[in-house]
Amino acid sequence: MSDTPSEAPVKSILPKWVRGPQDFVGGLAMMAVALFALWASSDLQGMHGFSFGAGTAPRMFAVLLLLLGGGVALMGVLQAGPHIAAYSWRGPLFVSAAIVFFALAIRPLGLVVSAFAAFMIAAMGSQETKLVEAVIVGACLTLGCALLFPYVLGLPMPMFPRFLIQ
Amino acid sequence: MELFANLAHGFAVAFSPINLLMCLVGALVGTLVGVLPGIGTIATVAMLLPITFGLPPVGALIMLAGIYYGAQYGGSTTSILVNIPGEATSVVTALDGHQMAKQGRAGPALAIAAIGSFFAGCVATVLIAVLGAPLTKLALAFGPAEYFSLMVLGLIFAVVLAKGSVLKAIAMIVFGLLLSMVGSDIETGASRMAFNIPELADGLGFATVAMGVFGFAEIIRNLDHGAEMNRNLVQQKITGLMPTRKDIADSTPAILRGTVLGSILGILPGGGAVIASFAAYTLEKKLAKNPSRFGRGAIEGVAAPESANNAAAQTSFIPLLTLGIPPNAVMALMVGAMTIHGIVPGPQVMQKQPDLVWGMIASMWIGNLMLIIINLPLVGIWVRLLRVPYRLMFPSIVVFCAIGIYSVNNAPVDVVLAGVFGLVGYWLIKHDFEPAPLLLGMVLGPLMEENLRRALLISRGDWSVFVSRPLSAVLLAIAAGLLVLAVLPTLRAKRDEVFVESEG
Amino acid sequence: MMSIRSLAGACLSAFVALGAFAVPASAQNYPTRTITMIVPFAAGGPTDVVSRIVTAHMAQTLGQSIVIENVVGAGGTTATTRAARAANDGYTLITGHMGTHAASVPLYPKLAYHPEKDFEPVALLAGTPILILARKDFPPKDLKEFVVYVKANAEKVNAAHAGIGSVSHASCELLNSILGVKPVGVPFNGTGPAMNALVAGQVDYMCDQIVNAVPQINAGTIKAYAVATPERNPSLPNVPTTTEAGLPAFQAQAWNAIFAPKGTSPAIIATLNAAAIKALDDENVRKRLLDLGSVIPAPVNRTPEALATLVKNEIAKWTPVLKPAT
Repeated sequence: MSDTPSEAPVKSILPKWVRGPQDFVGGLAMMAVALFALWASSDLQGMHGFSFGAGTAPRMFAVLLLLLGGGVALMGVLQAGPHIAAYSWRGPLFVSAAIVFFALAIRPLGLVVSAFAAFMIAAMGSQETKLVEAVIVGACLTLGCALLFPYVLGLPMPMFPRFLIQ
Repeated sequence: MELFANLAHGFAVAFSPINLLMCLVGALVGTLVGVLPGIGTIATVAMLLPITFGLPPVGALIMLAGIYYGAQYGGSTTSILVNIPGEATSVVTALDGHQMAKQGRAGPALAIAAIGSFFAGCVATVLIAVLGAPLTKLALAFGPAEYFSLMVLGLIFAVVLAKGSVLKAIAMIVFGLLLSMVGSDIETGASRMAFNIPELADGLGFATVAMGVFGFAEIIRNLDHGAEMNRNLVQQKITGLMPTRKDIADSTPAILRGTVLGSILGILPGGGAVIASFAAYTLEKKLAKNPSRFGRGAIEGVAAPESANNAAAQTSFIPLLTLGIPPNAVMALMVGAMTIHGIVPGPQVMQKQPDLVWGMIASMWIGNLMLIIINLPLVGIWVRLLRVPYRLMFPSIVVFCAIGIYSVNNAPVDVVLAGVFGLVGYWLIKHDFEPAPLLLGMVLGPLMEENLRRALLISRGDWSVFVSRPLSAVLLAIAAGLLVLAVLPTLRAKRDEVFVESEG
Repeated sequence: MMSIRSLAGACLSAFVALGAFAVPASAQNYPTRTITMIVPFAAGGPTDVVSRIVTAHMAQTLGQSIVIENVVGAGGTTATTRAARAANDGYTLITGHMGTHAASVPLYPKLAYHPEKDFEPVALLAGTPILILARKDFPPKDLKEFVVYVKANAEKVNAAHAGIGSVSHASCELLNSILGVKPVGVPFNGTGPAMNALVAGQVDYMCDQIVNAVPQINAGTIKAYAVATPERNPSLPNVPTTTEAGLPAFQAQAWNAIFAPKGTSPAIIATLNAAAIKALDDENVRKRLLDLGSVIPAPVNRTPEALATLVKNEIAKWTPVLKPAT
């Protein structure tokens, strides 16, 4: 998973003293996550007596992550490292859209519609996709899922749109 | 001699046609469930529970048990082929298994996973039959303090897993620990970082995060420009299906060690089995002459954890069969299945239900045999699946994962969360953070925190319990030793680096 | 995280919008299709087992299958919230529970439903007695000694429970409030781990439902002081009731009952109630419930009105006990 992205370095907006932008930004982001967690757990009760309380462990780990994030960012300053790899928008956009559509549609529209639509939306995430082929494979997959999940595995999920059954 | 009589009785029960059929059905469904990303054993066993209503109790339990260990066989398949671990226990299998697949060695990886699982399953079954009752003491010797120390050890394993920067690996573990804090606090019931989203009230599901940072993130990454070349290469260079003589020679000691570790850790209820697979992986990496091969397609990195998780899956039946206490959620469902049939398992279940106990033990061996017969020929089919063009493969994986995650809790929000974690995982890949330590942190976090707090509640805040209890002290000592071993090489490497630079 | 919240909101509004397509089914020929029974706990748990036994028989009576949907989370309140918002056409029901329809009121201040205002009671199915249990070498020999011992050693004893909001937690809080003690409560994730700790002697006592405890008591790995019901339980004939043992104030049962969303037509409620009563009178169903240690409600307690009263009383009973806990 860590085969470091080797695309051409993007134009860096970071100052020159940042020698490893990938680590620097990564570390900063971890620190941001830690600060967010600190804020989110600030309303929780801390230690009282020997009892830990709800907030102690989250705050402890948040502080630890803050320090570690700082460490990673520092490494990004001290050590020359890879640039931030380029992001593409197409894959993330369509795959996320497919997932969100599925989540919204599964209960009201049922498995058949949501699985097929999610397949088609996800397929748009690649420019290699050929429409006819995707429709055929998507239909077969939907049929397979419609047989496999509710019948073979007995999972209780709606099959067809709610307004059609009633 | 009583043992042989019992075993003979067990085999007589297990070899009845109906029970053989149930065993086969369980093994098949288990394999299917393991292979399908997202569909976990807990969900499936829960779904199939009503079916067992109409079955004789022994057959029903043989089938449910078959699903449970069958899923351990199948679980390695998606880890290896598409880098999606379906269960916590197959996270580490993905590390080297998927690298092997990328190198065109998916066949040997899948085969060795099946062979290792089979061997471990056989050994563990014998262990249950011979030593089940005495080993129960181990399950009872582990109190909160011991579990806490075991989980600390587990976190150290997670550090060792990392192949890149140790600092970043630790950051990922802590990130995982933080994610595991989301949900209700065990002691006060207070809602932690859940933002009043009801679906978050019980925390983030493992499947949700795993599908996100492994499954969806991997897909999104593969859709990047330039990654296409890579994928086509994978599809062309698939070589042999079966492991070579050298593969077998390399894997044999790993399988043996994995089996031993898995068998021991599996007995511990509530979390032992979870760390079995990465304990085994860590051990192999530490013992290897060239640890840098790990994470880059070392066959031992598949053989050891797969043997360990299957051994653990089998020995985790020990507390159920000897104490009547379910050690994990799947076993709790089996207790449910027994109660539906009017059998409530307890310490006397072995005496009162010899058919059930010995029949199940015997069926485990038969089930393992069936599984290897099912799985070895399947290797060829799975590998052929890799030849399906990625443009068709990835939307299918998206759909399967989405259905799988939805099925866990019937919660659409879980699917959206998995998508969010997909984007998080994509970002992590771009910044060279490894997702495996994150997942392990997430799995171990609650176990560690809860047991720490239980131990301190019972000791009234006295921290010395962790070193005054011998078992706990030993575990912590091993953890400290491993940490030193893990950090030393990096320090030394840094020094060498500096040395080289100054020379040049 | 804000985006997740708004997404969740978007999800919900989408469901509501699409749900509006649903046309209310007529009550006359109810039921005409599959009924979904939401069970707020995992499959295999006591609530699930009771629901499955009863609904299997009800499905025969009604001539339509009843699908069980296990929705776990937040002590069953996730599922109950979903049931409260479901269409009130009689096709979505829930097997409620002492926790979801009584103890949740004080435990979860931000509860998204109210057991009385958002549900139509249908029928009480079964009660599960609560036992006072202790590790096998815990010094007190009987309940009287236990009361004295716990009061004298309140600083030292540990009470295990299966997690905040669980039956064992609520009933232990009730016991402790009656005794006037505040022992250290050691939380576990579910009854399995809690029972393991009790068998291993890591904790001193706990209150738990009868199902899980009977085999352990019979094997002598733990001991039972009393059962918190008016009558002894047939599966543990030697365990005295709390009244016999000198603590009559401690009465607790985990109960399961069917509820429908508010506004479900009375005709449908009557149909369902009749089917449930028929199931409870069936020999086979009775036997299976009794095998679990359950108490089958007397005919007078099986009406929707009796269930409404029960819910009211239970909320009144648990609220003072559980309120300070949060």
